[in-house]
Amino acid sequence: MVGNAASRFRNQAIRQGHRYDPSAASRPILVFDNVYKSYRPDQPVLRGMSLTVERGEFVFVTGPSGSGKSTLLRLIHRTERVDDGRLLFLGRDVARLPESAIPALRRNVGVVFQDFRLVPGWSVYDNVAIALEVIGLPQRLIRTRVGEALERVGLAGRGGDAARVLSGGEQQRVAIARAIVHEPALILADEPTGNLDPQLAIDILGMFEDIHETGTTVLFATHDRSLLDVRPRRVVILDEGKATDVPSGLGEDDADLAGDDPYADFETDGDLAVA
Amino acid sequence: MTSGGLGPRTFGTWRAGRSDWRLQVLTVFSLSVAFVCLAASLLVVTNVEALRDRWSRAGRATVYLKDATKEADVTALSQALQQTAGVARVRHVTSDEARREVVATDEALSALPARAFPASIEVAFDDSVTDEQLKTIALKLRALPAVDSVETYERWTERLSSVLGGGVTAAACLFVIVLAAVISVVASTMRLLLQRRKIEVEVLRLVGATDHFVRRPFVMEGATQGAMGAALALAMLGIMFLLVRQRFDHHLANMLGVMPSFLPWPIALGMIALGGMLGAATAFFSLRRLTTV
Repeated sequence: MVGNAASRFRNQAIRQGHRYDPSAASRPILVFDNVYKSYRPDQPVLRGMSLTVERGEFVFVTGPSGSGKSTLLRLIHRTERVDDGRLLFLGRDVARLPESAIPALRRNVGVVFQDFRLVPGWSVYDNVAIALEVIGLPQRLIRTRVGEALERVGLAGRGGDAARVLSGGEQQRVAIARAIVHEPALILADEPTGNLDPQLAIDILGMFEDIHETGTTVLFATHDRSLLDVRPRRVVILDEGKATDVPSGLGEDDADLAGDDPYADFETDGDLAVA
Repeated sequence: MTSGGLGPRTFGTWRAGRSDWRLQVLTVFSLSVAFVCLAASLLVVTNVEALRDRWSRAGRATVYLKDATKEADVTALSQALQQTAGVARVRHVTSDEARREVVATDEALSALPARAFPASIEVAFDDSVTDEQLKTIALKLRALPAVDSVETYERWTERLSSVLGGGVTAAACLFVIVLAAVISVVASTMRLLLQRRKIEVEVLRLVGATDHFVRRPFVMEGATQGAMGAALALAMLGIMFLLVRQRFDHHLANMLGVMPSFLPWPIALGMIALGGMLGAATAFFSLRRLTTV
């Protein structure tokens, strides 16, 4: 009798799919396994791309225009769908998530775009708070967390300003605050410095590095070579639908090789490891 | 958690009114212009219908008396009619009076013999008397020995009623056409409004809002704007109606025999509800395109 009750309690407490798995923390946060994606049958963007990103990594994703940098990020965010292969985020295959699970996926990912994607008519506070409102946090907590996020991006006290009156750099800071306010496991940055001048671009990169310092995984897509040289970081180069991994970042030699197509000769470098 | 009922979160995400109030006002005004047309056509239907109801019965009858009818019988009949329920007025018209009235309008008829102008009793009924009651009264009157015949003007009122019935049908058709146009205008206005605010939908999707969470504020906004547009239209039409009625009320009432009336409360409230429903439905369906990202 007591045994039956204990068994029933155990079955209720440990529901299928919600079982605590200690090994999950040591698994990679992101795995692309032989991923294919094309918008037109004759022009595949990703052709059997494989890539693994560990928790807490900062990874630059680079490559020429049209190489699939944005596509790669959109696949993770499920704005696009994988044609073939597996894309695991926190151990779950994003490509096979049901529609109803996509909002939950997106709440675990922060996204920053080149064009900021802010609502111009909303205030700075509203633009950031929306990421917490969708989760359903109480307003009191939202106020506190938005205040903290704005402080982290250097916009403390600017919550009441309309987004449309901010400069490009400030708008990008608001977008970053929105991406981090709900403390996601992964931040996707799609050319976040593309619309900014070089100094501001480095400031924004510094901001992502600060976010990374807190343990957040960052995928930073850029075609700006100068940003890759700021600090040696892991670089993933996308070209011809494949990913080429440069674990310790691009060195001086690579900079010399950079001509019209800075990635043309990467495959001759000894550091490169094809993922 | 995010799909609960209406709460502070719904209004928190409904920032449109604060952020772009000019657009909101413009939208409500555009909708109200469409709804004015709808309300006006409804006003025509209502008043033509009232006119048809008024003219579907003559509201009077002429009781022709036999030549040999004695004065005492006429008095008794008049008194009996005056005491009948629904009878508003009774007037005895002698043969001479009838001749005078007719000849006054047409001199050529003066040569007609005296029996062409029989004495009669003119009976006016109030609005409570139905056609059936009028028929019953006429039947009873015809059975009296002093009565030669009873004219209830049934054929004339039937003809007028069918003409006005056609008018009601035409007005109802007009209403349906205007309603279709209003649905189209409301849908287009909502689609344009949502296209302009597409970025809000994109941002909501970006941060992981469920479809329900995305739609809720927009559908509420659509419902509010639709209802406000309809209410504003009724207010504008009401003011115009009052201005017109103040100037032409007396003449119109005399000419038509019926007082022009504004839309009854249930219809006015129904139109506001229709505005709300149309706004909500069009916002919902317009959003379906935007939310399938």
